[in-house]
Amino acid sequence: MPNAFLARMARPASMVMAWMVLFAATAETVSIQAAETDRPVMVNCDVQNTACRQEISGTEVTFDISPKPVKAMTDLRFRITLTGGQPKALSYIDLGMPGMKMGPNQVSLQNMGAGVYEGVGIIVRCPSGKRLWKAAVVLPGIGIAEFIFDVIY
Amino acid sequence: MSSIETLFLIFISTGFAVGFGHCVGMCGPIVVSFSLHLESKRVLISNLLYHSGRIMTYAVLGGVVGITGSFTRVTAGIAILQKAVMIFTGLIIVVMGLSMGGWISLGRIFGDHYNPGGIITRGFGKMSGVRSTAAYLPLGLLLGLLPCGPVYTALIAAARAGMEIQTPFKAFLSGMGLMVSFGLGTIPSLLLVAGLTDMKWLRSREVIYKIGSVLMIAVGIYFAIKGIQY
Repeated sequence: MPNAFLARMARPASMVMAWMVLFAATAETVSIQAAETDRPVMVNCDVQNTACRQEISGTEVTFDISPKPVKAMTDLRFRITLTGGQPKALSYIDLGMPGMKMGPNQVSLQNMGAGVYEGVGIIVRCPSGKRLWKAAVVLPGIGIAEFIFDVIY
Repeated sequence: MSSIETLFLIFISTGFAVGFGHCVGMCGPIVVSFSLHLESKRVLISNLLYHSGRIMTYAVLGGVVGITGSFTRVTAGIAILQKAVMIFTGLIIVVMGLSMGGWISLGRIFGDHYNPGGIITRGFGKMSGVRSTAAYLPLGLLLGLLPCGPVYTALIAAARAGMEIQTPFKAFLSGMGLMVSFGLGTIPSLLLVAGLTDMKWLRSREVIYKIGSVLMIAVGIYFAIKGIQY
């Protein structure tokens, strides 16, 4: 009896699964609209105009990118300034888009002295047109500071 | 295990993860539109040819960024071509959607003066898989140029790896190998999508087919618009 039940349910279940995947193929269009709606809430850094600050575990993290305006597909210099604490190991920035996997894109930071860390990286252009990017500044021993900002394509 | 072998593993696993997390959404419509047009027995071989072509293009791009060590210069050089490929892809998907829905035949698209032996019509016929499975290889070669965030990210890493290699030839091979690894990793997710379109019950239902056609047309228009804006 259970086998007959499973056999009866197999076709509708597979139909639902297949349609979930097929619709996922067009879901990016929908998610782009959703991201546009979320934008005012999510952005926490106006890096196009100024450096951004966050406090983590008593350490002030200042994040900046140059040159400005910050454009995708160009070499960019990322600058982190720490006040109050220093990382215990090599620090880096993880670049990604909120809600969309773009593959690992890390910027290694070099200690320039006086609490300043710098690295060169590239923000890639997403053909969907989404411009919202996230830089997760990973500071071992301190924590992770996340800056969400718009880039220019 | 050497550092380059570790990189190959990282690239293939990145491709695998990105395949399910990104490619299914962004490139799934392309695979669906090509696969629904195919006879069941030709779905797998056609998709493998398409992915082979796509990976060959990744390999060439990887080799070039590996040897130059510059991602930005290479991508700036092909930007216009990528824009054209994106618009072209959108138009192909729209044409296939219209054709699959039965609203228009490939011939009627070209008007009353439709010439079944014409170059354009023959081209679309081949691309839609009606006549030639082998056409999927050059199609993959071309569509490998589609602008794609994860491919860009992989190319950045390939360029960085190339900068650490002293010999230009080895840097070229390293870039190629890394991008081939990345491309191979993306195949399972897209084959899964193609496989779902091959289910018999799906092909036998007219309504599902019509809905799929409408989705394809919408996605094709989306691709074309994004290509124009790119």
